[in-house]
Amino acid sequence: MHKTKLQTIYFSLLVAFLCVLLPWSGTALKLRPDFVLLVIIFWILRAPNKCNIGTAWFIGLWVDLATGGVFGQYALAYTITTFVAVIYQRRLVLFSNTQQLVYVLLLLIISQLTLLTVKIFSGNDVLGWTYFLPSITGVILWQAAVALGLNTSRPSRK
Amino acid sequence: MAGYHQNLDQQQAPAFFARGPSPLARLAFFAALSLTLMATDSRLQYLGSLREQLMVVLQPLQLIANAPSMLYDSTNEYFSTHHRLLNENQYLRKQALVQAISLQKMKALTLENTNLRQLLAANQSLEEFSQLGEILHVGRDPFTKKIIVNRGSNQQVVDGAAVVDAKGVIGQVTRTYPASSEVTLITDKSLTIPIQIERNGLRAIAFGHGRDNTLDLPFLPANVDIKPGDKLVTSGIDGVYPKGLAVATVVDIQTNADSPFARIVCVPTGGIENHKQVLIVSISQPDSVANTSAASLQTGNSDAAAKTTTKPDATQAPAGTAQVQINQVQINQVPTNPAPLNKAPVNKVPATNAPATQAPATPVAPVKVPATTNQNKKPAVAAEPSTTHKPHAQD
Repeated sequence: MHKTKLQTIYFSLLVAFLCVLLPWSGTALKLRPDFVLLVIIFWILRAPNKCNIGTAWFIGLWVDLATGGVFGQYALAYTITTFVAVIYQRRLVLFSNTQQLVYVLLLLIISQLTLLTVKIFSGNDVLGWTYFLPSITGVILWQAAVALGLNTSRPSRK
Repeated sequence: MAGYHQNLDQQQAPAFFARGPSPLARLAFFAALSLTLMATDSRLQYLGSLREQLMVVLQPLQLIANAPSMLYDSTNEYFSTHHRLLNENQYLRKQALVQAISLQKMKALTLENTNLRQLLAANQSLEEFSQLGEILHVGRDPFTKKIIVNRGSNQQVVDGAAVVDAKGVIGQVTRTYPASSEVTLITDKSLTIPIQIERNGLRAIAFGHGRDNTLDLPFLPANVDIKPGDKLVTSGIDGVYPKGLAVATVVDIQTNADSPFARIVCVPTGGIENHKQVLIVSISQPDSVANTSAASLQTGNSDAAAKTTTKPDATQAPAGTAQVQINQVQINQVPTNPAPLNKAPVNKVPATNAPATQAPATPVAPVKVPATTNQNKKPAVAAEPSTTHKPHAQD
């Protein structure tokens, strides 16, 4: 069993949020992975009873505030994404590493698609395929984190 | 195998009991909440103050996040070479000298201008108030073109203030927070800016293109007198941007057989994504409502008058009268609807105002394109097709 402290979760979310707040610009901005969502997915898989859809919604509001968009866009995207993550959480911890990677990519794309839908509804342009690059970089970051020793499964499976 | 299952049960058991409401219920609840928030924020104005207060909470986090890049910048500055500093110093001294001279000229010109305006009983040009801001970071939303600067409502920045840099207009303040404000760049899809072609005084409205860093000039006829290389400057009739600031340069004009309008692509002059310092310029507006109604009234009058008085043969007017005409027209505000703006060209003024104002707006190239004397009326084609033949009848 994991004994994850609530503080650890919130601290990691804070760090991820700070990563979002960094002054990104240009190509880096286009490639910037969604740190906050990655951390949320990680905790949902690892400690589903501590971090849930509500947490995702709440941190989504802060991301909305930071991006300066309409309130609730990121919150909605994170809610839907974490819902999918929560449903398959029990199966997912038994997945192999590669399977997990594909699944995380799927989750990131779901989040981006939700955002895209909301944005298009409010009259924004479609941005082309580069819009989905952050999902790819997100998966790369996930893989890097796994390589560094973080894992969502039980310690005995390390 | 048995052990494995035991482990599995151990892991899963708490999850079964400690889950609370089902994920579907949570999803429904939070999705509904988000949708409500989105609707409230985009359609009603209740959340503005809440956003401002939350931004105050976010401010220290932002400072922490900016710290590494600030540290890098200051270290870089600290270790900059003696030689480079000397060079820069010399350059700045030279520039200061040049600017001091032009400033002296400018003072005299301002005085002269004021006197002339008083003679003409024209409106005084509006007072400007400007302050230097520094870009904190680029907007994080990939769908919009925004920057955040470090001046906010605490420093008397107001919504709608123009933001310029050394080379030209870069945008407009769209949201103010206590210690920072959000600037929408002119390349953003939602921002429009009233402009004038520097060469011939033709007025139009430039729209941000959104995806790439360009501006569009839509609703101008295919035979419009605009060439690649033309400079667009602010027309100053919107009461937001001071007059005559560089906005963009025309780079490409495409005409399409199946469209009556030209596709005009412009590149902004200001260093939209390069510079760190910007100038926030706000014009103090005494009573914009009164101005607007007066301007629209005048537009209506002049439009009616122009149909009878405009003579296209007055092309001999010297270049430069266009500028004077604009002053005499005294339009300070333009109705937000773009059609009336396009329909109110410089030369359409009641004959009683000044006889010189009958000169067309394109005195520079009268021989080459006689048809373009009507260019300012052309946009009206879109609005009222019945008047399409009118200009030709006058010819």
